[in-house]
Amino acid sequence: MLKYTLRRLLGMIPMLFLISIVVFTLAKLMPGDSLSGEIDPNNTDPTYIAEMREQLGYNDPVYKQYFRWINDFAHGDFGKSVRYKIPASDIILERLPNTVFLGITSILITYICAFAMGTFAGRKPYTIGDHFIGGANYLGLALPSFVAGVFAIYIFAFYLGWFPSNGSVDISVPEGTLGWWASRFHHVLLPALVLGLLSTANYTQFLRNDIIENSRKDFVRTARAKGTPERKIYNQHIMRNSIIPLITFLGFDIVAIVGGAIITETIFTYPGIGQLFLSSVTTRDYSVLMTLTMMFSFLTLFGNLVADILYGIVDPRIRMD
Amino acid sequence: MKRRSLLWLTTLVLVLSMFLAACGGDKKTATNTKNNNEDKKGSEQADSGPQDGGTLTYAMESEFKGLLNVNFYDSSSDAEIIGLFDDTLIDYDENLKPQPNIADWKTDDNKVYTFTFQKGVKWQNGEELKVQDWQFALETIAKIGPEHPRWTNVNTIEGATAFNEGKADHISGVEVVDDYTIKITFDKARVNNLENLWTYPLSRKEFEGMDPKKMAESEQVRTKPVGLGPYKVTKVIPGESVELTRFDDYWKGKPHIEKIIVKVIDGSLTVGELQNGGVDMTAFHPTLLPEIEKLDNVRVEKVPGLSYYYIGFKLGHFDGKKNVMDLPKYQNKKLRQAMLYAINRDEWVKAFFSGLGSPINRPVPTSHWIAADNKDLPNDYKYDPEKAKQLLDEAGYKDVDGDGFREDPDGKKFVVNFAHYDTGNPTYEARAKAMTQYWEEVGLKSKLTMTDVNLYYDQLEKDDPSIEVFYGGWGTGADPDPLPLWGKEAVWNYPRWVNDDSEKLLKDAVDISVVGTDQEKRKQLYVDWQKLFNEEVPALPIAELYDVYAVSKRVQDVKYDVSGSNSPAEWWIKQ
Repeated sequence: MLKYTLRRLLGMIPMLFLISIVVFTLAKLMPGDSLSGEIDPNNTDPTYIAEMREQLGYNDPVYKQYFRWINDFAHGDFGKSVRYKIPASDIILERLPNTVFLGITSILITYICAFAMGTFAGRKPYTIGDHFIGGANYLGLALPSFVAGVFAIYIFAFYLGWFPSNGSVDISVPEGTLGWWASRFHHVLLPALVLGLLSTANYTQFLRNDIIENSRKDFVRTARAKGTPERKIYNQHIMRNSIIPLITFLGFDIVAIVGGAIITETIFTYPGIGQLFLSSVTTRDYSVLMTLTMMFSFLTLFGNLVADILYGIVDPRIRMD
Repeated sequence: MKRRSLLWLTTLVLVLSMFLAACGGDKKTATNTKNNNEDKKGSEQADSGPQDGGTLTYAMESEFKGLLNVNFYDSSSDAEIIGLFDDTLIDYDENLKPQPNIADWKTDDNKVYTFTFQKGVKWQNGEELKVQDWQFALETIAKIGPEHPRWTNVNTIEGATAFNEGKADHISGVEVVDDYTIKITFDKARVNNLENLWTYPLSRKEFEGMDPKKMAESEQVRTKPVGLGPYKVTKVIPGESVELTRFDDYWKGKPHIEKIIVKVIDGSLTVGELQNGGVDMTAFHPTLLPEIEKLDNVRVEKVPGLSYYYIGFKLGHFDGKKNVMDLPKYQNKKLRQAMLYAINRDEWVKAFFSGLGSPINRPVPTSHWIAADNKDLPNDYKYDPEKAKQLLDEAGYKDVDGDGFREDPDGKKFVVNFAHYDTGNPTYEARAKAMTQYWEEVGLKSKLTMTDVNLYYDQLEKDDPSIEVFYGGWGTGADPDPLPLWGKEAVWNYPRWVNDDSEKLLKDAVDISVVGTDQEKRKQLYVDWQKLFNEEVPALPIAELYDVYAVSKRVQDVKYDVSGSNSPAEWWIKQ
């Protein structure tokens, strides 16, 4: 297992290198640069812009720019944000805790809801309850997060006034106190619900189908024949088997959360890396943009690795060496 | 039935947690509604003078960058926050003429200025403001040099360049007379030396000994800024919100409101937040006007803005040093005039800017003191399609092959290739399309290209041949000089319009040997220039826009004019 993990980790290096070339090329293909597009002649004197372009190295040949970037990147220097004038890593680290907090909350919501609904639907397939859950799931699958987000804000924040519509914390609460944590949780819950409930559908349907399938297997029939109580059959025999494949989803979740956060965070004006990513695209903040894209690519590779390893752990039939 | 207990438990926990959260949120809305109700009661009572206390929530749509010092900021959202906690040496009135604030000035020849500071003005760290703080600001910028966006506001001082190159210990043109008097000498006499000068101090105590290039990254700029204004920053959550608390030692007297919270919210939330009292004050986009006007707890403030939109024609190219007018397609003045007569600008502004604008006939916003009166201009381009057709006939643009569209004087097909920038806002394409339809109605075949906004300005600047007729906008500052926009050597002169009369008028207007210190004389030259522009129309002036702000009715004494709002020290909240 260790050997396998190491091999996979090493295999990620050339992959990341290729991705970096693609990321860099795409970033360079984007029209304009962070200094063009300004329309206020009083603030941006042409000589200032020319000077800054030269200084930022926008006038160097492309390959030179690439090697400078990748070299700095490998040394942990992600460049200075053109927009915020501070190192890109500082900005990302400033926002990362918010996204992690949102991600964990939404994963918890996903798991709790999916577990509850999936078990219910799996035990009582083809009943009204099952169809209702199925219907809700397909709605969740079909509904894009930006539509769900806007509706959630309208209903829960504006109409009912249960949740705040924006921000990550109430600024007037002193940091670190219980009230501060409560305020953070209060702010994160609505975006986390939108993000979490929408990805519940996959889990629910997977769990339901797996439970139904398992309940028809021989070992269940044997257990029934032996007179094992129905509750024990479901809670122990079937559940143990059905939950295993779900664990492997966790790897992919890491990726899905970040992807979903880009839109959700923007709608809820929740300052995490998703919102940062979108604003760095529109403001051509290359250093932040490229660092985040590399980070997302790495997360995708890493998520896949986690999924594969988890698979090996929970299912001993799959041997990896 | 027992089997279900686990499911029920989970559901119960979920529902309960939602209700718990709901209770927390409910309290906040309850207080908000209470405030709103009290407002209504309050507004019926007679005014009994400003009241102290309360918290004001100020929202902005675009995220602030966090460069919270006037010497380093470069975005308008940072400037909005700085305006709340800092004060200026010199103010601008509603005609954008400079007014003394902390500093007063005297000059005899527009070359040497003597500034006198008010005594007893306190920084928020307790230090007293002295002229050395201003000297420190000027030298900090000069030390950074051309890399600093404000370098052009400093390099006109005598000796600034020498100081930048390290040939002097101080800027020779900046002479401290005493703690409250400073003399500034410019490299030469100019009409607009004062308007161009960087008139903001920088606290020596905060930045002493720091490398000027590192200052923008320091916490004194980003999270612990210090200003001279009525409120001081007490907490910053980067990119999200800023908390400001009353500064009791403010030199103009103690402000009324206890706290101001600045929040970044998505534009789509503006109406809802204003309605439920989550936001008290915000600038908003004209398209939201109809919805905001319907709210009864909010009033809308409209002030003339400093920006205008125009449609330009590429008449030539920029050869690296100056503009050369060498493209033949739109050289005919009558064609350009006809295209302006063909546009129903009133209808267009009403449809696409909720009426928050008005047509203009000159490339200067009306609120500028140099703006020419409409009746002084040779042409008022009111919507007149008949006149447009007549002008096109005179210029030789006639329909020769009978397809309903006009051909050029040589009988060749003529197509107006119109370009507009695209930011993803769906109304932009509609408003651009409307323009092409106006032209087609007078027989000019038109084609619209939408281009991504960043690429668009890049193409404009580099004279990309794919752009022939283009939509653009300019915002102007306090200094009215149009030379950087329409001069022969201006790279920003996108139409590449070269006209000797125009050049002479604009250069004379800033030439101290021609106009001296007489503002009326200067204005007359600008009026003459606007007449010329109005006749030649190298770019069609389309409309100037209003800036709009929504202010909750519980907030009192907020006044806006073209230079922005009045001092936050004057605002107060009806309790």
